[in-house]
Amino acid sequence: MNSLVLLLMVCGVRAEDGRQIMREVQNRTKANSQRYEGTLKVIDGKNRISEKRWTYERIGSAGDSKVVLRFLAPAEVKGVALLVVNHPDRASDQWMWTPALQRDRRIALQDRSTRFFGTDFSFEDLEERDADQFDYRVLAEENVNGAACWKIEGRPKKTRSSQYTHSYLWIEKERYAVIAIDAWHNERLVRRIHYGDYRRVSNIWTPLTLEVEDMGRKSKTVLKTEKLEYNVPVKEEAFTLQALRRES
Amino acid sequence: MTLLKLLTWPYVRKHLLRTWLTVAGIALGVVVFAGMHTANDTVLYGFQKTVDRIAGKAQLEVSSGETGFPEEVLEKVQALAEVDVAVPVIEATVSAGRQGNLLLLAVDMTGDRSLREYDFEEGEEAVLEDPLVFLAQPDSLIVTRDFAARNNLAAGGKLALDTMEGRRHFTVRGIMKPGGLASAFGGSLAVMDIYAAQKVLGRGRRFDRIDLTVKPGVPVDQGRAAIQKALGSGYQVERPASRGKQFESIARIFAIGATLNGMFALLIGLFIIYNTFSVAVAQRRSEIGVLRALGATQGQIRRLFLLESAVLGLAGSGLGILLGLLMARAMAGYLSDYFGEVYGIAQRTEAVAADPALLAFSVLAGVLASMLAAWIPARQAAQVDPVRALHKSAHETFSSRESRMRLAWAAIFLAVALAMVAAGGHTGLRLYVGYLSVVIAAVLLTPAMVRALIRVLRSVLQAILPVEGALAADSLLQSPRRTSATVAAVMLSLSLVVGLGGISAASYDSIFEWMSNVLNPDLFVGTSEQIAERSYRFPPALGETIRQMDFVDQVQMVRTVRVLYRQTPVMLVATDLKSLSERVRPKVVAGDARTMFVEAAQGKGVVLADNLALMQRLKLGDVIEIPSPGGVLRLAVLGITIDYSDQAGAVLMDRSLFLRNWNDDSVNLFRVYLKRGVKPEEARQRILERLGPHSRLFVMTNQELRKYVMKVTDQWFGLTYLQIFVAVLIAILGIVNSLTVSITDRRRELGVLRAVGGLRRQVRQAVWMEAAGIGAVSIVLGLALGAVVLYYYLGVVGGDLVGIRLEYRYPAGMALLLVPTMLLVALIAALGPAEAAVRASLVEALEYE
Repeated sequence: MNSLVLLLMVCGVRAEDGRQIMREVQNRTKANSQRYEGTLKVIDGKNRISEKRWTYERIGSAGDSKVVLRFLAPAEVKGVALLVVNHPDRASDQWMWTPALQRDRRIALQDRSTRFFGTDFSFEDLEERDADQFDYRVLAEENVNGAACWKIEGRPKKTRSSQYTHSYLWIEKERYAVIAIDAWHNERLVRRIHYGDYRRVSNIWTPLTLEVEDMGRKSKTVLKTEKLEYNVPVKEEAFTLQALRRES
Repeated sequence: MTLLKLLTWPYVRKHLLRTWLTVAGIALGVVVFAGMHTANDTVLYGFQKTVDRIAGKAQLEVSSGETGFPEEVLEKVQALAEVDVAVPVIEATVSAGRQGNLLLLAVDMTGDRSLREYDFEEGEEAVLEDPLVFLAQPDSLIVTRDFAARNNLAAGGKLALDTMEGRRHFTVRGIMKPGGLASAFGGSLAVMDIYAAQKVLGRGRRFDRIDLTVKPGVPVDQGRAAIQKALGSGYQVERPASRGKQFESIARIFAIGATLNGMFALLIGLFIIYNTFSVAVAQRRSEIGVLRALGATQGQIRRLFLLESAVLGLAGSGLGILLGLLMARAMAGYLSDYFGEVYGIAQRTEAVAADPALLAFSVLAGVLASMLAAWIPARQAAQVDPVRALHKSAHETFSSRESRMRLAWAAIFLAVALAMVAAGGHTGLRLYVGYLSVVIAAVLLTPAMVRALIRVLRSVLQAILPVEGALAADSLLQSPRRTSATVAAVMLSLSLVVGLGGISAASYDSIFEWMSNVLNPDLFVGTSEQIAERSYRFPPALGETIRQMDFVDQVQMVRTVRVLYRQTPVMLVATDLKSLSERVRPKVVAGDARTMFVEAAQGKGVVLADNLALMQRLKLGDVIEIPSPGGVLRLAVLGITIDYSDQAGAVLMDRSLFLRNWNDDSVNLFRVYLKRGVKPEEARQRILERLGPHSRLFVMTNQELRKYVMKVTDQWFGLTYLQIFVAVLIAILGIVNSLTVSITDRRRELGVLRAVGGLRRQVRQAVWMEAAGIGAVSIVLGLALGAVVLYYYLGVVGGDLVGIRLEYRYPAGMALLLVPTMLLVALIAALGPAEAAVRASLVEALEYE
C-alpha cells in the first residue's frame, strides 16, 4: 500500500515547501516492513466486474525496498507472483513468477506503462519512489470533503523515467495523508486515484480503500486492504526469485 | 485494317481449326511462363503477407539464423537508447492433427500489444485486458475466428496440439476478429505465451527473434546500426520485409526454371506459327497475286501478315494468361506445401498474386514470338510475283542458295558452340551461349536432315504399304518447309523431354548413391514425420537415454539449422564428426577423405556439400564466414563431398564447435545404430514404448527415411514432369497442325486419288503414314538433339541452379519408351486430319483451284 501511496508524489508554491511536505508524508508512512491481503475489484466501462485477491509483503521503505505480490484468487492464477525490487536512483526491477510453467519472466522497463493484469494500475504504479526523485511545487490550498489540503504539483526529475509528465496531489494538512492524485501525461489526465477509509495502524495513518480510475477507458479499480500489519518480521531472503520458486 | 477484314477474316473463318491450333501454340508457351512465375509470385506474396501481418508495427527484427539466441539478448536490445519497444517472438508451424497446420506465434503478452493489434471478438476482451490467466495457464491459446469457425471451436474449447511432451490439449482463451494479424497464414494462426511455447517446442531459454520499434525521432537505419553494433555481426538486424529476400533466393531455382521452360515452350510455339503462316501464305498466293496486281505494295502485304500474326499472338497470349492463372492457382498450393515441408517456411497461399508487369511481359513475349515466327512467311508473301502467283508449290521448297546459307549459318553456330565448350563453358554465360548456338544450328540443319531421313524412310514406308507409303513420303518431301517446321517443333519438344528426363534419372541415381553412403543408421529419431521439420527440438539428454538402451550400439546427435551465407539461407548440420566418419563413406569431391573429418572434428574447419561449393564458387582451402550469436565464424573448407541434405547446400560442422558458438545444445535428429542382429522394427517399438508416452517422438527405419527422401525428390521432379507433359503436348499440337495443313493443302491431290479408284482406307493410311513419317524423323532428330541438350542441362543444374554435380548418362530407357509413345502420339494426332481427308467432298476437292 505504501508504494501506491508514494508512487506519484509530486508538488509546491515554493519548491522547499512542497519537498518538505512530501518528505513529511514519506516519514509518517515509513515502516521497515508491511503485509496485507488485498481484494481488487475491477469495474470496466460496461460495468462488468472481475475480482482478484493477493497478499502483499514489503521490506524496506522510501524507494529502497522490495515487494512480493502473490495472487490467491481466482483459482487459475493462484500462486502467480510479482517481485518488485525498488531502487532509490532508478526504475525498479520486476519479475513475474508463473508456477504452472515453473519459471520467471522479467517485466521490461518499456512495459511499465501497460496495465497491471487487467487492473487500472500500470506496472509503474507498483513501484515505490523516493520523494527526492521528484520536483514539487505547492499550487494552492483547497478543501477536499471538508478537509484542508495542499494541492501539490510534482514532476519527475530528468533522471527519472515515467509515463506521467506531472501529477497533482492533495495532501490532508492535519494527518499529512494523501487524499487524491491526478496523474497526467502532457494535457491528458491519465489516472485519478482516491484514498479513503483512513485507519491508524501501528501509528501510521493508512487508507484501507483505494480507487483508481482510468480516464481513457472509463474503468475503475477498487483495492480494499485487510489484515494490514506494519513492521512484521519478514526475511530479506523471501524477496528473491529463488524464494518465489521455492514457495510456489 | 481493310485488308485484314477483307482477306484475313474469311480465311480465318474457313480454317478455324488451324487458327485455333496456332493460337494454342502461343498460348502454351505463355501458360508455362506466366503460370509458373505467377505460382512462384503467389507463394512469395503469401509469405510476405504473413510476415507483414505478423510484423505489425515492428520496424526492425533481430535474429540469429534459425537457432535463435539466449533470452539475455532481449534485455540488451531493450536497454539501447535508440530502442523504444522490443518484444521477443517464437514462430513455428505446428500440427493440430485433423485441423491441419497452425502457425504458432508465441509472444510475451505483457508487452506485445505495443507492437501488434489483437482485435478480439466481443465477449473475449477479458483475455486482452487481463492476460493474467492467459500467462498463468500454459495451455492458453488465442485463435482466429476463421480457424475457430472451421473447427467448431468456441472460447473455452479444447484444441489438441503436438508438443515435445506428446499430444496435449490447449484451451482457447480468446478468438481474434478476422483481418490484420488474424489473417496471417491464411487465418490458421494461434497465439501462445512465449514461455509456454519454449516448453511446448523444446526451445530452452531462447527466443527466435526480437521485433522492435525505434524511439520516435530516431531514423530506422540509425537504430539498426546501433543495434547491430551492440550485438555484433553474428546477429541480423533487418526490416521485416527483408525476410522476403531470403525466400526469393530459395525460390530462385524455381523462377529460373520457369523462365527457361517458358521460353523453350514459346520457341516451340514459334515453329508452329511459322509452319502455319508458311502454309497460309502458300494457300493465299493467288489472292496476294491479285492484290499485288491491283497495286498493293510489298510493305502492305508484309504488314498484313505481321498484323495477322500479332492478332493471333495477342489472342494466344490472352488465352495463355487465363490458363496460366488457373495453372498458377493449382501449382501455388503444391509449391507452398513443398517450401513448407522442405524449407520450413511459414506461408500460406491465398489469392493468386498476378503481377501486372509479368502478365504484360508475357503478352508482349507471345505477340513478339508470333510476329517473329511470321516474319519470314510475311516477307515471302510480300515478294510474291503476281505472274507466278498461280504456280503451286514453288514456295514450299528451299532454293539452293537458301539451303547453302542455312548450312553455312549452321556451321557457324556449331563452331560457336564448340568454341564455348573449348573455352570451358560448363557454367555461366558461355554455357547459355553454347546451348543457344546448338539449338539454332539444329533448327537450321533440320531441313537437310529431314530430307535425308525421309529419303531413307521412303523405302521403309513403301515396303509396308507401297502406294500409301510412297504418297506419304513424297508429300513430306514436296513440302520441306512445312515438314521441317513441324519436325523442328517436335524435335525441340523431344530434346526437352530427353534433357529433363536425363536430369531426373541422373538425380535419382546420384541421390540413391548418397543415401547408400551416408544415410546408413538403422533408425532415425526425429521430432516429426517430416525429417526437415525444425520447429520442435529434443534435449540432448534424450540421446543419452536412447544410447543406454541395451539394443543400441551408437547414437549420433544432429542439429540442423538454417544460417545465412552470403545472404543465402544454407543448412548448417552440426554433429559428432569423428563418430560420423567412422560410419559413413561420403563421395569425396575435394580433400582427403581420411583427414577432413578428423580435422573438422577438432574444430579446424568445415566440410561442404558439393552443391554449395558449386553454387558459391568455393574450393578446398577457402575460408567461409558464418554468422553465429558468438560472432562471425571464419572456417576453412577442409573437404567437399556429395551431400543432398539441402537443396541450398549444407555445411557440415562438428557439434562441439556449434555448441561453443551457438550455445544451443538442442537436437533435431538422432541417428541410431543398432547392435548386430537387432531388428529395426522391434527396436523402434521398444523406443516408442519407453519414450513415446512422454515426448513427441517419431522413429523412422532406414527404409522409411529413404522413402521420405524419395518422396521429397518426387515432389521436386513433379514440376519437371509437368514440363515434360507440356513439351509432349506441344509436340502433338505441332503434328496435328502440320497434318491439318497438309490435308488442306492436298485436297485436290487426295480427291484425284479417290477419283481414280483410291479407297478411303488408302487415303486414311497415307495420312497415317505421313504422321508416322513426321514422328519417326522427329524421334531420330529429337533423341539426338536431346543427347546434346542433356549436356547443357547438366551444366545449368550443376553450375547455376542447384549445384548438383550429375554424371552424364543418356536416358536410354526413356528414349526407347519415347519411340512407341511418339509414334502412337503421331498416329493419334493424325486421326482427325485423316478422317477429314476421307470425308472431304470429292466434287469440292476436284473443283479446288
